[in-house]
Amino acid sequence: MMDPLLEQLLAGFVDEAQEIYERVARSMMELEKAPAQGASFDELARGLHTLKGSAATLGLEALADFAHRMEDVVLPLRGSSKPLPARLSDAVLKSLDVWMAHLRATAAKGPLPDLAPSVALLETVKPDAPVPAAGKSRRKKNGKGPTAAETLAASVARAPEPEPAVAPTPAPVPAPAEDAQADSWRVTTRQVIALLHEVERLREVRLRLEERRRDIDKALQQLDRLGIQAETAEARSVLLGIRRALGADGEEAADIVASMEDGLKSISTMPMRTVIEPLRRAVRDICKATGKQAKLAVVGAEVSLDRRVLEQLRGPLVHLVRNAVDHGLELPEVREARGKHPEGALAIRVEQQGNMLFIEVSDDGAGLDLEQIREAALRRALVPPEELANMSTQQLHQLIFRPGFSTKAEATEYSGRGVGLDVVRNQIQALQGQVEVQSVAGQSARFVLTLPADLGSSPVLVVRCGEHQLGLPMVAVESSRGARSKDLRVGRARVQIEHREQLIPVQDLGALVGLRQPEVPAEGQPLLILQSQGRTMALSVDEVLGDRELVIRPLPVEIRELAAYQGAATLARGELVLILRPDFIVGAERRADTGLTSTRRALVVDDSLTARALHRTALETGGYLVHTASNARQAIEQLRHSAYDVMVCDIGMDEMDGYELTAAVRQRAETDSMPILLVSARDSENDRQRGLAVGADGFLTKKDCVSGRLLSEVGSVIARRKGAA
Amino acid sequence: MKVQPRDPGGFAPELNELLARRAQRIREKPAEAEDENLLWVAEFPVGEETYALPLDTLRAAVPLKMVTPVPLSPPHVIGILRFQGQIVTALSLASLLGGRGWREDPAVLLVVDPGFGRLVALDCERIPKPSGLPHAQVAEARALSTGATCEITLAGARQVSLLDLLRLMDRRQGQEKR
Repeated sequence: MMDPLLEQLLAGFVDEAQEIYERVARSMMELEKAPAQGASFDELARGLHTLKGSAATLGLEALADFAHRMEDVVLPLRGSSKPLPARLSDAVLKSLDVWMAHLRATAAKGPLPDLAPSVALLETVKPDAPVPAAGKSRRKKNGKGPTAAETLAASVARAPEPEPAVAPTPAPVPAPAEDAQADSWRVTTRQVIALLHEVERLREVRLRLEERRRDIDKALQQLDRLGIQAETAEARSVLLGIRRALGADGEEAADIVASMEDGLKSISTMPMRTVIEPLRRAVRDICKATGKQAKLAVVGAEVSLDRRVLEQLRGPLVHLVRNAVDHGLELPEVREARGKHPEGALAIRVEQQGNMLFIEVSDDGAGLDLEQIREAALRRALVPPEELANMSTQQLHQLIFRPGFSTKAEATEYSGRGVGLDVVRNQIQALQGQVEVQSVAGQSARFVLTLPADLGSSPVLVVRCGEHQLGLPMVAVESSRGARSKDLRVGRARVQIEHREQLIPVQDLGALVGLRQPEVPAEGQPLLILQSQGRTMALSVDEVLGDRELVIRPLPVEIRELAAYQGAATLARGELVLILRPDFIVGAERRADTGLTSTRRALVVDDSLTARALHRTALETGGYLVHTASNARQAIEQLRHSAYDVMVCDIGMDEMDGYELTAAVRQRAETDSMPILLVSARDSENDRQRGLAVGADGFLTKKDCVSGRLLSEVGSVIARRKGAA
Repeated sequence: MKVQPRDPGGFAPELNELLARRAQRIREKPAEAEDENLLWVAEFPVGEETYALPLDTLRAAVPLKMVTPVPLSPPHVIGILRFQGQIVTALSLASLLGGRGWREDPAVLLVVDPGFGRLVALDCERIPKPSGLPHAQVAEARALSTGATCEITLAGARQVSLLDLLRLMDRRQGQEKR
């Protein structure tokens, strides 16, 4: 049984060793390409020495001895002007993996991996003694002979291939999932998450304070407009005082939020580096296996992320990087023939914007080969040939995320099993994120992962569409402008607008989210120019309400699958606003091409949210495309732009009731024969007669609105109208 | 100093009415409240029928306000709302139950914890009233039921459908998959 004190020390040593392991592995890889000297060699030597010393201090003799053997292999080469021989670095890296696995197993009291095969492997690359010069003298141009280190390096490089019974090499060792510091408190993840949520709430309160201050500004402006300066002087003075106080409170709250966020970040997050650094090893290994050359550049590795998210990101990132080398980068000779540097450029860029995180994995390889994608899709019967023939480039790119997709005819160690990008997408979606791919044939491929981050806020443009407020991430909004009929090109199937000497598609936001039939933008109607996934389009909205700094939160599980939304955020008065996904909007045109269109359309007018939901349930079951309006004014607006096969209308509504709406609808030539079914909470003969008198075709009480009854009644009023015609 | 009660006229009429009804319900808490043989439930009407859910699953009854509709959502989703800092989905109970009719437009949301670690809100026409259902009858009815409700017949042939929230949610998920 392990000494409790040793157990605690061991847990701490595992973390320390992990960091050293990463530094040593990085140095080894650098020294494969550069002379075995300088800072990298010092780092390598220091790391191995620390591993040896610390293991010995903890009584882990086997590990101390093993580290010593690695030193024996590496240290004699110090000062060589040549890089470390590939065989030697391979052996040391594999031994390091085994060393780390052995340490972890010791700490976890699990079965220990056998060190003997690795020790044997090290023996095969160990430069025991200087190799005597064979044949002619190998003198350098400067007349001096090779240094001892160079001679040793050469001896290792020339040594025959080892054939020891090497145990399977463990995968590069991942970073520890949790800290286990002896002098720390034990706090559960749940407690920290609860605290995170409280800070989020506090941030929202802070943002609301800012809104209140703006409200006071508006009130002051209104008082100014009234022009009664003397009479309102006192009130204005009070308001100015409140405004100042709110400003100061807001600033103090902002400071508290920032400080709490910093504190929580240090507890709950780790830098992306912990996930990205081991990828250098993955790149190196796959390059060795495939004969390719690649250099990985990383930007933003210092960005800190929730530890749980980091763990989930590890797999997808490994996959994307492996794919980039295996599928993306060409062999050195091919690259040279194409005018590229023989060493491919891989890049990982991490950026946090507000509470959104962007991770980009790109390579300057051959890009996605559309022909290969088509062939693979046909070979694996993922898409019918006729559908494949009509697919756009973007749609073809999306095929790589289908389960079972692979362009490789035969599986290799790294790819070809058809298990891959679909898993990447699923894992990212499980984090409420998304994956986009962009590619230029022959030049590059770029995968962009977008994820919500726990802390921070994002700039959002809030717009109105009918009675709905919706948000758009500002990052996707290029500009806004008013619609001008001279710039619009209205065709039968679509509307386009001339924007910066290009024709770009125009979509109606209301139609995109199923609120109404598509409308051609009216003169002066706001248009937002959006960019996402390399596409540009114009989105027509009813009103731009302004930009806000909002905390975007994931939607509840019940509606998380909805592709239209990224999440929801709380506005100043506590109401929620849905945040749209830019890729959903720019993808609308493609969906419209393949989407099913309902032949029958119904308009439901009811001021009760639940009644609208229930009517919609019933009517959609009957195959109707349902649009809704929460009041008569909105219904009239809908009817002005669209034709419906039937209107189901509540009687008891504010401002204008169902009778008045029915009468108004009957007065318009376009709707004078539209079937109307009135619905009421009250079962009264008077109501029924009054409804029929103003032009309704049927009457139903809400308690009778069971699915079948509403549907059959709707069917009846439509049939009666047709019969009358 | 005499503490003055808060002026009830400061609230909107419907809120006053709501509060008064809540207070009335509490005052009417039945005498058998101490009876350990009863399962305490929140009882409310949906159309012509009476439904109930175990009181221990009920977190709050809030006015059906400040709900943000979610365009493109399944029809049984009324919208989303904030509840104690969380975003909660409001669902139409009548729709979940298969399209029941209703007498009054629902004005109340019951925030419930179905037991899978997150809250959902269900609409209902009136503020529920607490009542007790005999444990023995509940157990018997549950044993016979395979659906999201089990029927319990009380004295005077009064029927109450006791909701099984987990099954109700499972059924909804099943509907979505189809």
